[in-house]
Amino acid sequence: MKSLFQINFKTPFLTMLLIMTSVLVAKAQDSRIQMASLDHLASKASQTVDVNIDERLMKMAAKLFSDRDADEREVKKLIVGLKGIYVKSFEFETDGQFVAADLEPIRTQLRGTGWTKMVNVTSKKEGSVEVYLQFIGENVNGLAVLVTDDKELTVVNIVGPVNLDKLAELEGQLGIPELGIESSKTKKKNNEQ
Amino acid sequence: MNDDYLWDKTGEPDPQIQKLEEILGTLRYEPKPLEIPESLPLPQRRNYFPWIAIAASLLLAILAAGIWLSTRSRGETPPQQASVAPLGSPEEKTPPATDRKTPEPKPDFHEGLLVVHKPRRKSSTPALSKQEREEALIAKEQLMLALRVTTEKLSLIHKKTQNTNPANQIKNQHRAG
Repeated sequence: MKSLFQINFKTPFLTMLLIMTSVLVAKAQDSRIQMASLDHLASKASQTVDVNIDERLMKMAAKLFSDRDADEREVKKLIVGLKGIYVKSFEFETDGQFVAADLEPIRTQLRGTGWTKMVNVTSKKEGSVEVYLQFIGENVNGLAVLVTDDKELTVVNIVGPVNLDKLAELEGQLGIPELGIESSKTKKKNNEQ
Repeated sequence: MNDDYLWDKTGEPDPQIQKLEEILGTLRYEPKPLEIPESLPLPQRRNYFPWIAIAASLLLAILAAGIWLSTRSRGETPPQQASVAPLGSPEEKTPPATDRKTPEPKPDFHEGLLVVHKPRRKSSTPALSKQEREEALIAKEQLMLALRVTTEKLSLIHKKTQNTNPANQIKNQHRAG
């Protein structure tokens, strides 16, 4: 029986295993984070922002950005190549409307392969902020931001090659607040001076 | 010579025929099963089952990938060549020129229906149907909202990291003079 298995089933079994492994690896490289576990907080929140833009909507929206307007051109450059932007933000009127366990499913995903925690600031008074980046080789393939406060919870997930320099260049444009982040080019200029 | 012996074995047999009968009689049919000597090598049948199984697995995988890709790209807009200016674009905001040399659209009465042929305006953006344009406008608004929230939070993070990192504070003090 063993020899029969080895002859007849070993090769196709290994082939199927290879296919399944490659599918799983491809899925693991996807930087989309599932945020459905936070949906129940919407009923408690006084203000909710829920943005789900997939690749199709991103391409459609990109068509509406004018090439003649400098600001819109910059945004268009930023979103080219992105596969999605997902934001969930909740503001509460009172403290303690959410617990750490609510964020645990998201943190579990971010502990997965490819994600690197770049920033982690925890403060008892001002809450905590975490920034994660997913790399493929040397290129950024995804961004995740977790911001928690006593009365606020925000999760941002950008899927695709995020250009942080271009994101920094958006500051002050189209109502986007100034970040105070220096891009690599301006840093170089400053250093030369 | 009597040939009856050759037909029905009657009559006197010919000695030559009898001799032939003896010689060829050893090859006479005997009702017993065929015996193949064990030493004779049997031709081995090739087992094609693993290859067929591999081919079937690959075919299934390709089929599944095809279905997945088709369902994924079903919602995507097909490439269109015609062009229409989007809502809110600078081109639409400009009033229609009255001193243009292009002829005024002439009304065309066709089977009781008034059809007006309007000259097409050139635009850099690809054409979107009315529903798609509405969807795209909502997507654009959502996108801007998402970017605002993202940059706002990154700004907050930037401030927090600057406050917590004493080295940065020293740097900033140095820059401030």
